[in-house]
Amino acid sequence: MKKTIRQLAILAAAVLCFVAFNGSMYLLLTGRLSNNFSGTSQAGMLDVAKYLPHEEASDLARIETDFTLTGELPVLDGAAALVPVYAAIVDNVYPVGSVTYEGGTFSDDNYYGENFAPDSKMQYKNTVRGYKAIVDGETDILFCASPSAEQTAYAAEKGVELVYTPVGLEAFVFFVNAENPVDNLTTEQIRAIYGGTITNWRDVGGADRIINPVTRLAGSGSQSAMDAFMRETKIARKSLFAITGGAIGFSFRYYMDGIVGNDRVKMLSLNGVYPSAENIADGSYPITVPFFAIYRTDNDNPNVPLLIDWILSEEGQTIIAESGYVRIR
Amino acid sequence: MQEKLFYRILLAVVVLGLFVTLCHLAYCVYAYQHCSIIYFIGKELW
Repeated sequence: MKKTIRQLAILAAAVLCFVAFNGSMYLLLTGRLSNNFSGTSQAGMLDVAKYLPHEEASDLARIETDFTLTGELPVLDGAAALVPVYAAIVDNVYPVGSVTYEGGTFSDDNYYGENFAPDSKMQYKNTVRGYKAIVDGETDILFCASPSAEQTAYAAEKGVELVYTPVGLEAFVFFVNAENPVDNLTTEQIRAIYGGTITNWRDVGGADRIINPVTRLAGSGSQSAMDAFMRETKIARKSLFAITGGAIGFSFRYYMDGIVGNDRVKMLSLNGVYPSAENIADGSYPITVPFFAIYRTDNDNPNVPLLIDWILSEEGQTIIAESGYVRIR
Repeated sequence: MQEKLFYRILLAVVVLGLFVTLCHLAYCVYAYQHCSIIYFIGKELW
């Protein structure tokens, strides 16, 4: 009898070990992972249907303008964060009927749920595939942040020269959980965190907890901006335990604040300056980056330079500002 | 319970537990690479 009880206790202990390990892992990690390529989570990040041109209910900046494009209409594409901008441009200067949205169905082959008809003048491929599309000639104007080294190399490999016209400004921001007591970091502290020199929040005035410096998909606009921000400092490989620590991430201000709007995270001040529209416009926020309208030098569509000039005009810049970004002129 | 039967059951429990844990780890690695970092950080426990 004693032997049987001992055996049952051993079996129960073995089961409990696995349950405890997997349960802890679920609480610390798995339960927090929203797959970005699932329909529900992607729709939560950017619901393209909210920004469709020529739809009354769309959340787009609208102005009074006499400028209207006719003839060969340029195909516009861009990063997720800039959908409100280029959708507003289409809305204001393209004729009704130039965009055909067939409804986004998220799948393994259609990560972003974009489902514009092939002849639609607005497309949404996001940064990584958007750069490929502009180089391959599928898009006329791409709205994105600076390219990554790989994207520049891809254009060079294909013998394609691209023109980058800065059309607006945006802040590159760092964010943490809203409960994290740290509100401000210096740029040098952030480089030290991602470089692996500072590994605990205690060292920057926070709680005694490991820092989990989170990075993004290589080639994405925000990861390219981060690589540029780090300069010579290489992003260090983090320890396996860091994954359970207090995380810090990066993004662009309007994407976080205006599009995603998750109140369980907060943007950090950098060198004591909060990334508000005012602080970006007056240059006091330390990491302000331009975003570009990008086109091929050999694009002979006469509407491309016309549209770029309009975007840089007072009317175009008003669209940029009313879409939540900061004007460049 | 006979020793032989006990060890067989124990082996089965360990194998099954390891299998489930490995699947869980594999899912974690995949999901961590593809997850929304804003939501990941927003759901952090403090």
